[in-house]
Amino acid sequence: MIKKFFEWVISPMGRVAVLIGVLALFSLATYGISQSQASPPQPLEFRHDVHVTKGVQCLYCHPGALRGPSPGLPTITKCWGCHQQLAITKTSPRLEKMVALIDPATNQPTMGFEWVPVVQVPDFVHFTHRPHVAAGVNCEDCHGDLSKMEIYENPQVFNMGFCLNCHKEKAGDDQEKLTKLTDCGTCHY
Amino acid sequence: MSEKISRRDFLKLASAGAATTAVLTGCGPASRYVEREPYTKMPEYTYNGLSTYYATTCRECAAGCGLIVRTMQGRAIKVEGNASNPVNLGKTCARGQATLQGLYNPDRVGSPTKQGRGSSVSPMDWDSAIQIVADALKNNTPSEIAFLMGTGSDHLFDLVSDLANAIGAPAPARFGALSMFESRATLSKAAENLLGQSAMPFFDLANADIVLSFGANFLETWLSPVAYTRGFAKMRRGNPKQRGYFIHFEARMSQTASKADEWIPLLPGTEGLVALAIGRLVAEAKGGATPEAFASVDPLEVASTSGVKLETLEHIAQLIVEAQTPLAIPGGAALGQSNGLSTAEAVLALNALTDNFGKPGGVFVSPLSPNEDAYHRPASALEITEFISKMKSGSIKALFIHGVNPIFELPKSFGFEEALGSVPQVISFATFPDETAIASDYIFPDHHGLESWGYQRVATGSMQPVLSGLQPVVNGVYYTTTDPDTGADTSELLYNARGTADVLIAATQLAGGKFAEALPFKDEVEFIQSKLVNLISEADGSFSAPEINTFTAYFQQHGGWWKKTAELATPSASSVLSKSVNAETAQFAGEGEFIFLPFVSPTLGEAGANKPWLQELPDPTTTVMWNTWVEINPETAHELGITNDDVVEITSEAGVVKAAVYLYPAIHPGVIAMPFGQGHTAYGRYATSVGVSEKFMDLVPTSQYVNGGKAFPRGANPADVLGAHFNEAGDLAFAGMKVEVKKTGEKQVLSRLESRIGVYGEGMGEEH
Amino acid sequence: MSNQMVDLNRVGAKGAIAEAAEGKWGMVIDRDLCTGCQACVAACAMENNLSFVGEEDAGYGRTQHWIRIERLWEGEYPGVKVEGGFQPMLCQQCGSAPCEPVCPVFATPHSEAEQLNLQVYNRCIGTRYCANNCPYQVRSFNWRDYHIEPFHANLVTGQLVFPLHNQFNPDVTVRRRGVMEKCTFCIQRIHSAQDKAKSEGREVEDGEFTTACAQACPASAITFGRLDHEESLVSQLGHVSRGVKHLEELNTLPRVTYLEKG
Repeated sequence: MIKKFFEWVISPMGRVAVLIGVLALFSLATYGISQSQASPPQPLEFRHDVHVTKGVQCLYCHPGALRGPSPGLPTITKCWGCHQQLAITKTSPRLEKMVALIDPATNQPTMGFEWVPVVQVPDFVHFTHRPHVAAGVNCEDCHGDLSKMEIYENPQVFNMGFCLNCHKEKAGDDQEKLTKLTDCGTCHY
Repeated sequence: MSEKISRRDFLKLASAGAATTAVLTGCGPASRYVEREPYTKMPEYTYNGLSTYYATTCRECAAGCGLIVRTMQGRAIKVEGNASNPVNLGKTCARGQATLQGLYNPDRVGSPTKQGRGSSVSPMDWDSAIQIVADALKNNTPSEIAFLMGTGSDHLFDLVSDLANAIGAPAPARFGALSMFESRATLSKAAENLLGQSAMPFFDLANADIVLSFGANFLETWLSPVAYTRGFAKMRRGNPKQRGYFIHFEARMSQTASKADEWIPLLPGTEGLVALAIGRLVAEAKGGATPEAFASVDPLEVASTSGVKLETLEHIAQLIVEAQTPLAIPGGAALGQSNGLSTAEAVLALNALTDNFGKPGGVFVSPLSPNEDAYHRPASALEITEFISKMKSGSIKALFIHGVNPIFELPKSFGFEEALGSVPQVISFATFPDETAIASDYIFPDHHGLESWGYQRVATGSMQPVLSGLQPVVNGVYYTTTDPDTGADTSELLYNARGTADVLIAATQLAGGKFAEALPFKDEVEFIQSKLVNLISEADGSFSAPEINTFTAYFQQHGGWWKKTAELATPSASSVLSKSVNAETAQFAGEGEFIFLPFVSPTLGEAGANKPWLQELPDPTTTVMWNTWVEINPETAHELGITNDDVVEITSEAGVVKAAVYLYPAIHPGVIAMPFGQGHTAYGRYATSVGVSEKFMDLVPTSQYVNGGKAFPRGANPADVLGAHFNEAGDLAFAGMKVEVKKTGEKQVLSRLESRIGVYGEGMGEEH
Repeated sequence: MSNQMVDLNRVGAKGAIAEAAEGKWGMVIDRDLCTGCQACVAACAMENNLSFVGEEDAGYGRTQHWIRIERLWEGEYPGVKVEGGFQPMLCQQCGSAPCEPVCPVFATPHSEAEQLNLQVYNRCIGTRYCANNCPYQVRSFNWRDYHIEPFHANLVTGQLVFPLHNQFNPDVTVRRRGVMEKCTFCIQRIHSAQDKAKSEGREVEDGEFTTACAQACPASAITFGRLDHEESLVSQLGHVSRGVKHLEELNTLPRVTYLEKG
């Protein structure tokens, strides 16, 4: 049985099969990796570039970054705070979904959007925003220049190498800082 | 390629490649598809990832320890003690820590249920439930309505008391297994006889230099274990100049006894005699006349009756004479005997002899809780049998049960389950499907303690009067379902429970007339506020407020209200020593070689069996988990040809129980002991057995443990062999049964944390 | 302690850690106060998302007790005693841990920053060599996916719902089968307190936070804190004459001092 299979692989037919197989695996791997980094579809296509270029601060919508582990996602109340006064709210087709959720009687949203998180780290990584923001790391340093992103996309893969590179760089010559920032237990517990 | 490939073959391969690509896209975002839903309106104090803390009170027992519960996004994550609450000062016991597994237990009653005594089970809605309660109140003569409640949930007890009083129904009866094993009626009767007032004595353990405990398991579940453990720690090491000395008299080495410097085993029922003998020796050593209380006891005789050597009695007497602040504490199985009351009196008399009443390290009267007019104790076991007689006679037409599981907690010989047959309508407010709940006509589930409003009066454990407060730390338990078509998520309430106080208020409003007038409140919170209102004008409180709404806000924030200074009443000792204390040995019921000693499991308590982490906590002295055992002295066992894991049958005049043997080195040879807390035939999947194999299987039990039939019991219930015998105060003489022990030939391997080799040389060729 | 004995806390037993030989975070456990009540065990279980294994696996010794209370008997009836009192045993966070060098994938490194023995769950491949090497036997292995056994779930409208999972602490990783775990001295609380202090521009004060076990203990038998700070309570208690370190002779440099009865 094995001999027959081996003979088939050596044959021209077999070699083409192997070549196609390898190419398929390669393309599939590339596709898979690219897909894992692509942004998932969201309930509403929120335009970061529009808001950022208009001067809205990151911390206005994501205040948790200053205080704790998670920056948080804004409630529609926050969006509506400005958008109820903006002309574009009535004209933009994209905003129809949000307008539909506002109860005209109370001027309050009835539900929230089910946002899909784009930046996800595994649950064995305990990342907290507060010390990073406090240390002067800008949002763009990790999340990219949002004034140029229509739909948010990770500018690079959020893997351990990415974190450690910056940690080592920021620690510089300070041995104590370097020890702390490269300690396994600082993030994995 | 030397040979040509046909076009057909090429296409075959290419399509195979494409198919492979399609299958292996598990790396895409589709596989990590997670959705996050922010609050619709973010509460101002909440940030994603940061916790919110709420103060409340633990409801695993009636001690009233204050809690601070850490919650995150509507889920309770961790329980800590409230550092300001004078009872526990920030500490918690194992049962308090595991209360979260009660809140999130998979076997909570999910909705109001038509239970049909277990025969026909169907869910209902709350409106129908409230209608049924209203009808039960309205359609029966008030004298035929009865309420049976547990020792926790004081605000509900007050509400029911007010309701019963207003409509002319009998006052609610309160009872619980813990109060039964603590012999609360005995303690307060002894206090009444000797100190002139019916009250719960408080033993100032913290400031005593030598402590004699006659059976009181104050480090386990007795009265207020966290408070007494704190006191114990202070006694031991709180004084840098002197380490506190602790002597414990008990037929078995309980967890409490194991911390004693001297554990003195004795024949059960002789504790009172021993106390008197010691008192006499102390009086003689001090010189002067021997007080009347100790005049008629003969230490030599006591030595031979109890098994405690005369030298030991003399040695202890000497220690007391030399001590500054000696303290004697009566409790536990010593009071659960036919002579329990005289035992308590004997021990209190010993305290009077050493003149420690009202002094640091001595005996006090526990302060009354704020708003309490007098000490109200739970019903004694004898009073409960009277209640059951009433049930049997048919004069109770509607029975409401909350916070207690009488079918399990009471001895079978009391006949509670049979008596239910004579009550036409039984409505349970149980949160969990315990034995009594599934035997009821309806279950209208109350919130779990962590979802409840309320207050808890602290009966003992604190020097100050304390009213501990409860507030919901979560709004309920939810789960998320995803619509398969639209992909939208909805959050559903998993357990549709409702505060019993709210249910009763709604029902009385529905019933109208005098019922509505009895409880003129919008809801539970308004009722609670009505009870708090007169605290506003009380002085020396932990906080003050100008009016009720502000007061309530502080009450919730602090977790209660208490007086800042201690208010321990000093009992008057003058008459104690001149009274003669009736000294006699205990009488035992039935025939048998052994005296049966049930004790409350220190890890499970009375209601912990459905919390899996409590089941997995090893018993402190035996390290057995998940089951019941019977402790037998190794010598005795050897004589009977019994060894570890043998299943034995224990028979008393009242019943039979089977359990696996644990050779326990520290128990009187004529005594066998069994923990109380296991042996459930209902109460959820963790409290019962799955079936033949104890391993977690790939079962998906849904309704088989909830509203379902009986399951296999996990372990055994020692209450099955207890007969209806009482001491002079009406408490159950639970340690007063004689039993026979018989080998069954079966074996049941107990899961222990300890290594068997280390303990008994098992597996090393040694035999005991 | 004899004067002739070489104090391995001073001699560079492991070079780099010799300076920090006394450790950073440590505990003092008073055996005279411990009542064996298991409050610490329950508190640890709730704080660290420990799984319970059921009766059968518990009988096989597969319980996930990060802290356990040992009870040793001595004597014969009627002179039986619990030898030395109850003994809470937990990971000693050894300065020279025997579990560290044996891991083939470096899943249990020594934290230079916190002077703790870390357990990195995502690196662990489950050889269990570390548990084998631990002289205190304080490491537990996740033999099964205990948390997600269907037995713990309810079937609600066709899906499995695990109500107990609501209680999980988000600051602690929930472990799957195949990884080792052990007491971490509540490192999540250490980080949380340090972060809070840093955000307020100050140092962490002694007693500002503590481990779950120490916080629960009604007898206050467990004290936790900075061993390298002289004024901390744990430092002072650690120098009490009835203090011993277990299995010291194995040169593990444990960070837990037990105060014996005395």
